[in-house]
Amino acid sequence: MPDTKISTKEAIMLIISIIIAHTIVTLPATLLKNSKSGILVNIVYVSILALLFAFILYRLFKNFQSQDIFDISDYLGGPFLKNLIGIIFIIYFISSSGILLRNFAEGLKVIYFPNTNILFIILSFIITICITNSLSFRSNIKVISIILPFVIVSIFFLFIGNLPSFSFERVLPILGEGFFNTFVVGTGNIIAFSGISCLYIIPPLLKKPEDFKKIALTGIAISALYLILCVSTLLFMFSFFLKVDEILPLYTAASYIEYGSFFQRLDSIFLLIWMLEICCYLTITSKFSSIIFKKITNLKYQKPLTFVFPLLIFSVALLPKTVAISKLLGNILYRFISLSVVFCLGFVILLLANIKKLHYNRKHKEGNQ
Amino acid sequence: MKSKFIKIFIVILLIILTLSFNSSYQSLSISNIAFVVSMAIDTSTTNNLKVTFQFTKPSSVSENGSSDSDSSIVNSVEASSISSAINLMNAYVGKELSLSHCKLIVFSEEFAKNGISDEIFTLMNDNQVRPSTNIVVSKCTAKSYIENSKPIFEPLITKYYEGYTNSSSYTGYTTDATIGRFFNNMNCDTCEPFAILGGINSESKASDSTVPSEKDSNIKSNESAITGSLRSENIGLAVFKDDTLVGELTAIENLAFLCTRNQIDGFLISVPSPNDENKSIDIYLTPQKNTKIKASIVNGSPYINLEYTFTGRIYSMSSDSDYLNNDILTEVSDVCNSYLESVFSAFLYKTAKEFNSDIVGIGKHILSSFETSSDFEEYDWSQNYKNSFFNVNVQSNVKSGFLLM
Repeated sequence: MPDTKISTKEAIMLIISIIIAHTIVTLPATLLKNSKSGILVNIVYVSILALLFAFILYRLFKNFQSQDIFDISDYLGGPFLKNLIGIIFIIYFISSSGILLRNFAEGLKVIYFPNTNILFIILSFIITICITNSLSFRSNIKVISIILPFVIVSIFFLFIGNLPSFSFERVLPILGEGFFNTFVVGTGNIIAFSGISCLYIIPPLLKKPEDFKKIALTGIAISALYLILCVSTLLFMFSFFLKVDEILPLYTAASYIEYGSFFQRLDSIFLLIWMLEICCYLTITSKFSSIIFKKITNLKYQKPLTFVFPLLIFSVALLPKTVAISKLLGNILYRFISLSVVFCLGFVILLLANIKKLHYNRKHKEGNQ
Repeated sequence: MKSKFIKIFIVILLIILTLSFNSSYQSLSISNIAFVVSMAIDTSTTNNLKVTFQFTKPSSVSENGSSDSDSSIVNSVEASSISSAINLMNAYVGKELSLSHCKLIVFSEEFAKNGISDEIFTLMNDNQVRPSTNIVVSKCTAKSYIENSKPIFEPLITKYYEGYTNSSSYTGYTTDATIGRFFNNMNCDTCEPFAILGGINSESKASDSTVPSEKDSNIKSNESAITGSLRSENIGLAVFKDDTLVGELTAIENLAFLCTRNQIDGFLISVPSPNDENKSIDIYLTPQKNTKIKASIVNGSPYINLEYTFTGRIYSMSSDSDYLNNDILTEVSDVCNSYLESVFSAFLYKTAKEFNSDIVGIGKHILSSFETSSDFEEYDWSQNYKNSFFNVNVQSNVKSGFLLM
């Protein structure tokens, strides 16, 4: 279907949008707590690792032109493996979206809707996803391409606006808790780039599959710069994030921006932009879930799934009983599931499929001789 | 038929959403809200604290622009906590108190000496409190400080509080201390919190300095020689160790504090005349560069080197002044250097030896001496700051007078 094919630029936007959504909630503060003053070196390090990982993925996908991880799983282990991997990826997208939505909605409730039940705040996002889900994937991507530059500019403005309050000396000691903590324990911070997950799915959706390498590397590089800006703002500005937890750390940074007595309380503009970004993220994950489900069940039409995945996200978002549980899930479960699904499972499947293909090619060659 | 159902479903959904969000907007409605302009916290004999709220009168500015003489309402309540005090006041005024326009939070000196951590955390937990809200420690009771804060040049109390600390950038006698920065410093390993020192002026107080020129700058709130219709004053700085008030700085020490933190555009200073010790010269100094701070650990003690650079022009003139003479200007510069060095050294040693409170934030400059964050935590900067040694070097270049030479 030509309607679902996306251009190279749109694919880059898609990757960035997935990666940066998590920075709006607690991710930068969690990274900061893990690596302390060594966070900038650590982010540069994990960005390089993420770029290397994306390059390896490109090499592994090269033997399977325009095929996604599910087609490759099918090739490797038949329909069973294809279905299993599909279900795991759907669970990953639904759970990470649900928890992210819950954490963001909790922040919104505290800041703007103190007397509104959290259910209705979450529901308003779910209705948005249902509407966007009923539209074509391409129109979704086009909207994301419009919103994303605003999100990036907002973080840039957040950095510039708080520049007078920065203490650049806070970057010292440059390795934080030491070499081992920054470069070995800190490797886990690669979860900041778990948006790489969409690289497993987008190959058949690309207009130009040959641009896969460019898409992956550019998307990660821009996201890395974005992440550095986010973390730097918190590192240079606040010392209390190492001791005190905040519901939306970047919102706190936004509330410090004031230009004279006229331009005050700009935080509401930031929050509006970030709400749109959360909607974009939820649209992408729910759309991806629909695509995966359609693929593993061989459905002819995607339309009946319009409400299914948003409702599943809604259910997951309502699961945590308290903010503490949703924060814990956001920090620990998301970390675990991202590392195991995105950086281990997907990679292993690709690697094994490549070995199988190599083995098959060799056998085929020997048979011909 | 199907589209009809969808339409009905959408309408029902919209009604549900409107009703569910209505409760949040109803509580935020201006008719249900009383806007707090400032808040004062005192000790109480009958309960944990006494909280005073200052509100604006909605009709304080008349249509022709003139204002009422008393444009604010002050109400007090004794309660066990700030939240409880707000709750009680909600019941009393019949409206919900909003702190979103609160410009000032005042703690009495007596209250601050017992630690204000709980109050600061509670206030920062309230999303209505802006980080830019000024924080004051009052030498008198916090309530009387607020009662005496009556604007004389502005029609509204809120306007007065907005420009409250503007003079800090050109006098250096007060500081723009905010609750956001206070909270940040309170939880910081490399710095300590501070607040504006407030009080009420009275004619009976005088500085004990012997040199007349020093009397002008060795003052602080409640001890100044200022009298006027605006009775509240903000001169000096309240120094905290963690959350507890440990001391006060005078106007000249506050100036040294701002110069070290690079938060001043220019300031007037009286230095002893090179020719006559009983006379003084007024010089307007402008920082030429940011203060260079280098810190290291020498024999287990922090050794801090500070370099200040200023350019200046002479304000005070007399008929026999000859400020075109290069030798005289060099002499004035040298006197200025040694005077400022003694002032800045005295300030730094006072914060270290007397208060053991790194309000300047020198700790962040010593971070480079440690390999890891854990090493720095083990060193325990907040306890070791008192062992610091300072080497102050001031380079001022006094050029000439302004219009007259």
